Amino acid sequence: MVSKTEEEQVNRLENQVENGGGGAWEYLCLVRKLKLRRSDKVLKFGLSILNDPKKRSALGPEEWTLNEEVAVAAMDCQCLDVAKESIKVLQKQFPGSKRVGRLEAMLLEAKGLWAEAENAYSSLSEDNPLDQTIHKRRVAIAKAQGNIPIAIESLNKYLEIFMADHDAWRELAEIYVSLQMYKQALFCYEELILSQPTVPLYHLAYADVLYTLGGLENLQTAKKYYASTIDLTGGKNTRALFGVCLCASAIGQLTKGRNKEDKEGSDLHSLSAMALEKDYKQRNSSKLSLLSSTLKSLKLSS
Amino acid sequence: MAEDLVLDTAIRDWVLIPLSVVMVLIGVLRYFVSKLMRSSQLPDAKIIKEGQVIIRARNLRAAANFIPAKSFRARKVYYSNEENGLLYVPKGQAQNAQAQMFSDPNMAMDMMKKNLSMIIPQTLTFAWVNFFFSGFVAAKIPFPLTQRFRSMLQNGIDLSTVDVSYVSSRSWYFLNFFGLRGLFSLILGEENAMDDTQRMMQMSGFGFDPSKSLSAEKDGLDIVQHDWALPKFEQRAEDVLRKLVS
Repeated sequence: MVSKTEEEQVNRLENQVENGGGGAWEYLCLVRKLKLRRSDKVLKFGLSILNDPKKRSALGPEEWTLNEEVAVAAMDCQCLDVAKESIKVLQKQFPGSKRVGRLEAMLLEAKGLWAEAENAYSSLSEDNPLDQTIHKRRVAIAKAQGNIPIAIESLNKYLEIFMADHDAWRELAEIYVSLQMYKQALFCYEELILSQPTVPLYHLAYADVLYTLGGLENLQTAKKYYASTIDLTGGKNTRALFGVCLCASAIGQLTKGRNKEDKEGSDLHSLSAMALEKDYKQRNSSKLSLLSSTLKSLKLSS
Repeated sequence: MAEDLVLDTAIRDWVLIPLSVVMVLIGVLRYFVSKLMRSSQLPDAKIIKEGQVIIRARNLRAAANFIPAKSFRARKVYYSNEENGLLYVPKGQAQNAQAQMFSDPNMAMDMMKKNLSMIIPQTLTFAWVNFFFSGFVAAKIPFPLTQRFRSMLQNGIDLSTVDVSYVSSRSWYFLNFFGLRGLFSLILGEENAMDDTQRMMQMSGFGFDPSKSLSAEKDGLDIVQHDWALPKFEQRAEDVLRKLVS
C-alpha cells in the first residue's frame, strides 16, 4: 500500500522532472521502492538518463538496474525496439544470466509469440522451479491467450506453494468472478480480507459477490459487508451505499409476508439513501431525479 | 601517575599503520573470496510452503472475526485436522534440525564455507599480531579514561601502572576488527553490511525448526474464539452515516 504522503512525494517529483527541474534518478528510485506502475514516465526519464553518457556513468553499477527497468517499462508501453536495445546491452554485460533470460522471454511475450515465450519460461523454470515471477508470467500468458482454465490451473498450482501472496489471490478472485464461479470467488475474497482486513475494496468486492449469489442469508451477510465498507471509507463509497439499499430492498422482498422480526438494521438503508441523496445533490444535481425515482422503486425513500 | 611514555615513531610506521592497512586488505580479500565461493542455494519447496502456511494461518488468527463463522470453521479444519491439515505435523515426521543438517550435505558444506572464509583469516591475523606485536604499547588516545577501559585498550599488557589511555597493539587489532565495518560498506558497497558480528548472530539463530512453529501456530489457531465482527459494523456504519447526513 502506498501512503498518501508517499504518493504526494512521487507526484511532486514527477512534476519537477517534467518541468526540467532534475531529480529523475530520485524519481525512478522512489517508483522502484513503492512498486508503482508508471511505465510511460519511467521509460521517458530512464531513457533520458541512459542516453546521456555523463549521467549514465555517474550511476555506476546501478546502470544495469536502470536498463532492466527501462526494458520492462518499454514493453509495457509497446516500445519493443527500446526494450530490445536495453536487453541487448544487458545481455552483453551479463551473458548467460537468468534475469536477462527472463527479460528476453518477456520480450517474446510482448511480441505475442506465445509458444516461444512459453518455451523460454519453461526452460528457465527448469533451473529454478520456485521462481515466482516465472509462475506469474505463465499465468499472464494463459490469460492473454484467453485460455482461462489453464490460467486458473497454474494460479492454483502457484498458490499451493505461495499461499500468502495476496496479489495472486486477487487475480484468481477476479478470474472466478469473470467466469461467474462465485463460490470460488468468495473463498478468494475471504482470503484477501484475512490478509488485509482494513482494505475496504475487498469488503466491497466480497459483498458484491454475496449479493450476486442471492439468497436471504447471503444478502444479509452482503449488507453487513457493505456496512463495513461504509465504515472503513467513512461513507464516501457510493457503490457501498447503493449496495446497502439494494440489499435492503431484496431482503424486504424475500421476507415479505413473513414475520418481521428482523428490524434492527432498518435504519441503515434509509440513512444510506439519505447519504446518497445528499451526495448527488452536492456533486451531480442533474441526476438527482433519477436517483430519487430509483430509490422510490426500491421502496426505500420515504 | 607515571610520567609520560615516549612512543617511538617507528612504532607508528611499522605497527600502527601496517596493522590497519593489513586489516582493511584482508577484509577486502575476504569479501571477494566469499563472493567467489558463494553458491546460489535453491530454496526448498517444502520450507517455503511451510513459511507461507504459517503466514496464512497467522493472518487467519489475526483477522478471524472479519469473515463469517462458516468460512472460519472451514479454514480451521483445513489447517488443523489430524489427517492432512496443513499445520498438522505427524509425530514421527518431526525430525530435528540437526538430523536434517546431516541428511543434507549441501547445507553442511555451505556452513563450512561460510565459516572457513571467516575463521581462517581471523586466526591467521590474530596469530600474526600476537607473534610480532605482542606486549607493547602502540598508540595513545588523546584523552584520559577510567580503569574499566583497561581490559579493552590494554589487552596483552599486564601492567596496572600504565596509564589507561595507552593502547596496546593487540587491542588496536581488536578495535580495527570491530570498527572497520563503516569503511567496508564505503569501499565495497552497501550490500557488504554483513560484518562479522552479524554473521555470528546468524550462526546462533541457525537451528531453526519449522515443524515447531507449525505446531505452535496450530495450537494458537485451536484456541481462537470466533466472534464475527461484522454485525457491529452495521451499527458503526449507521453512526458514520448519521454524522455524514446531519
